[in-house]
Amino acid sequence: MSALRETQAAFRAALLGDDPSATAIDIRGDGLAPAARLAIYRHHVGETLTELLKDVYPVVCRLVDARFFAYAADRFIAAHPPTSPCLFEYGDTFADFLERFAPCRHLPYLPDVARLEWAMSRAHHADDLTPLDPRLLGEVSGDDLERLTFRVHPSVALLTSRWAVDRIWRANQADADPNTTVHLDGPAASLQVWRHDDDVVFRALSAAAFAFHRALAEGRALGTAARIAAAVDPRFDLATSLRELFHDDALVAFTLDKEECS
Amino acid sequence: MRPRDGGARQLPARAGIGLRAPHVAAVLAERPPVAWLEVHAENYMGGGPALRALDRIRADYPVSLHGVGLSLGTADGLDTRHLDRLRRLIERVEPAAVSEHLAWSISGGAYLNHLLPLPLTEESLAVMSRHVDEAQARLGRRLLIENPSSYLRFTHSTVPEPVFLAELARRTGCSVLCDVNNLYVSQQNVGLDPVRYLAALPPAIVGEIHLAGHAVNDADGHAILIDDHGSPVANAVWRLYALALQRFGPVPTLIEWDTNLPGLEVLLGEAAEAERLLERIARGAHVCAA
Repeated sequence: MSALRETQAAFRAALLGDDPSATAIDIRGDGLAPAARLAIYRHHVGETLTELLKDVYPVVCRLVDARFFAYAADRFIAAHPPTSPCLFEYGDTFADFLERFAPCRHLPYLPDVARLEWAMSRAHHADDLTPLDPRLLGEVSGDDLERLTFRVHPSVALLTSRWAVDRIWRANQADADPNTTVHLDGPAASLQVWRHDDDVVFRALSAAAFAFHRALAEGRALGTAARIAAAVDPRFDLATSLRELFHDDALVAFTLDKEECS
Repeated sequence: MRPRDGGARQLPARAGIGLRAPHVAAVLAERPPVAWLEVHAENYMGGGPALRALDRIRADYPVSLHGVGLSLGTADGLDTRHLDRLRRLIERVEPAAVSEHLAWSISGGAYLNHLLPLPLTEESLAVMSRHVDEAQARLGRRLLIENPSSYLRFTHSTVPEPVFLAELARRTGCSVLCDVNNLYVSQQNVGLDPVRYLAALPPAIVGEIHLAGHAVNDADGHAILIDDHGSPVANAVWRLYALALQRFGPVPTLIEWDTNLPGLEVLLGEAAEAERLLERIARGAHVCAA
């Protein structure tokens, strides 16, 4: 192993590990203990990544309070440091971490609130693609409509929770009525999150509409997706659901017989 | 203003400011008379409103892309996925300059979100040279490499930092981004001599200067300067800047501000001060900061 690789591995262990003394690194004291010099770097890494997680997960932070959040973030960062220099990608596994993190087991809805916040952050940074013009569908013959598949906008995420995470999220916004009570045993949430123009938004979908959106996102043909939705609820209305998808700019292309139109 | 795809895409030897997200709307609305803008490359590697705003800004201002994530000093290989993202951003923005750091931040697949210090050894010089070569080839651009702000030195360092940078430039053809605040911070923290440092850097390789504020923290009763870019440029740093201009001549100069970000007009005021010194040096006058 090269000397440089060894130094960097020891530095990494000192920044992320539980032992910041880093006796393996040859640091000149210059009037200050080597561990104190190393602590400057360690502090910066921990603080900037914790701030970043706070920005992505403000509602989780509010629900557990900032001090507990900093503790959870510290454990998360040590176990799951970033793997990419693009930090808007960091924190995608925070919800899974919270699910296994014993100190917040008494807040069973917390991981799903984190999943909603992650979907919102991801939507904000998703690539820009031009939404599909619904008039292009007019050129498809009626017999072929069934077989169409769609490409969904990369900002779109679909998520379900047994908790009312949409209402929990709204009740924890700065402009929310502080007297709002969210009943945890209220209806489960089936949500579509996406970026509309420059704003990240979400809305609740019926169970049938959710099944329809998910089937399309998985690449099922339009006819199949409609049948899946109708099996969930026979009152499912295909025309209304399609209109909403176009209104949300949630589709970017469709494919018929391997030919993509966008 | 530069032509959209003019042949001579170079930063003017004038003052620019680092553009941060809270100032983007004001820059788009007011189009302030600043000579150029620098952005952190990694903030524009996703999509969405940020990248669209940059598309509009680069039409009116020369833009410099300042990378913080290439980890050129890592003993592991370069992250080629990241290099390709930078290449795509360069193709889109057509920046007047692309810069990175004499530092590392990736070890064993973890990105440590800090510009970490390199032991200044022959091995590090070989690693940096190989990675700058590889990056320049893949990006099709000459890089500017910035000197770090230091909080420690390694006992096994053998090459003085300005000699390291000059040799890196000789081997790879890269330029040097001389961060004058970092020189001052490193002087106070680890005893680097900024006057000898400036004298040791060949003027021909210095392509850009950075200026920023720093904080003074206490570490075990010892004053440590933190390069937090959160305050006006210190007087001592302005004096070093004047010295740098005497040696290097007029060089594109950036005002960087990242934490405790004030209104845009404060950054423009700092840039005006740098511009005043740049104009004097361009006229051949002696410059001396207050």
